[in-house]
Amino acid sequence: MGVLLKYILISIVTTGMLLSTGLFADVSAAEDAEFATLLSEAKAAQKKANSVGGEWRDVGKFLKQAEQAAADGDFEKATKLAQKAKTQCELGYEQAVSQKGKAGHPSYLQ
Amino acid sequence: MKNALIATVLVLVCSLFVQPLSASPEDNVRLYQDYFKKRFPNIDFQEFANGVYAVNAQLRENWEAIEEFPPYEPFVERGESMWNTAFANGKSYADCFQNGPGSKHLYPQWSKEQGKVITLALAINQCREANGEKPLKYKKGPINDILAYMAYESRGQLTNVVIPADDPRALEAYKQGKEFYFTRRGQLNFSCSHCHFSSSGMNLRSDVLSPAVGQTTGWPVYRSKWGTVGTLHRRYTGCNKQVRAKPFPAQGEEYRNLEYFHTHMSNGVVLNGPSSRK
Ligand code: HEC
Repeated sequence: MGVLLKYILISIVTTGMLLSTGLFADVSAAEDAEFATLLSEAKAAQKKANSVGGEWRDVGKFLKQAEQAAADGDFEKATKLAQKAKTQCELGYEQAVSQKGKAGHPSYLQ
Repeated sequence: MKNALIATVLVLVCSLFVQPLSASPEDNVRLYQDYFKKRFPNIDFQEFANGVYAVNAQLRENWEAIEEFPPYEPFVERGESMWNTAFANGKSYADCFQNGPGSKHLYPQWSKEQGKVITLALAINQCREANGEKPLKYKKGPINDILAYMAYESRGQLTNVVIPADDPRALEAYKQGKEFYFTRRGQLNFSCSHCHFSSSGMNLRSDVLSPAVGQTTGWPVYRSKWGTVGTLHRRYTGCNKQVRAKPFPAQGEEYRNLEYFHTHMSNGVVLNGPSSRK
């Protein structure tokens, strides 16, 4: 193999490596920001559900686990958990608000 | 004459609609107690104080064996010595509870001065704090000792929760407790009544569900699952968690109002705490 070819190959490989690390860094920065947004939405939803006594049991745990997963770089898991927490808070809020001032005797007590 | 007739008819029609909404606490108690008397026609009314053991013969047998050597006895003894030990300022619980340790039948009570429901556990801590002592934790630990002793000394009294007519806030607290009781909660979307009214006497996994009337008389309770004596609010916490709802703080407003409503429905049932449960 000619020396030139060797240089060309090495430079291709290095550029590729440099490029790809840059790319990965970008991707993970984007994931980071996306997760941060979702997490703050989930926490706002938690506050809202809690304000009407409608928070569900495992929300706090899901959020903690989500933050841990993000810290470990597992954004797929982190996102799933944060999304689950957010959805549960929205459901819990609806559940509580839809009954406020209305919850009373079931039909067999009337 | 015609006007009077129209007026009467109007009043009657209106009352048809209004009545269910404005049912008094006394009406409610009758409604709830009649429901369980019909559901369990062969049970003596005072037996409801024994919870699930009133409605399930097999569980009752195990329980009677346990009650021969009551697991809560050491707690009662420790509570008695708490009662008889002076605080650092020389005063003691007796200075706060004029009726002596057998005062449980007076709680939960409405306090006009404080504008809130005072449970026995809260009264104990208010007594401690007024005398410069640290408050006790509300779910586990020594609060159960003093509660166990006071419950023991109150045995034989009847549940008699009063909702004073001279302060509308008392009725409001009762109504809050009632709404809490019938509100669906958590991922499972159950209210207390789903388990303790319409499913009482039935199985839930390895448990048989107790009727709501009589559930407040035996506290604090030695639970084998806990391996110790715990408070009513600890039990509320557990029942909220069972339906995957986030529990509320022990002795916070939600649970105190719940206790007010929940205890009131057992008016007339004998106090038999402390007791033991699976
Ligand atoms: C999913 C069913 C379920 C729901 C909903 C539920 N509980 Fe329970 N509860 C249980 C089970 C199971 C036990 C243990 C067996 C028993 O005594 O009923 C229990 C026990 C209790 C006891 C103890 C009774 C005793 O004699 O020791 C109390 C008090 C109680 N529940 C109150 C409540 C209140 C108040 C609510 C609503 C906030 C509630 N429960 C909602 C299942 C439920």
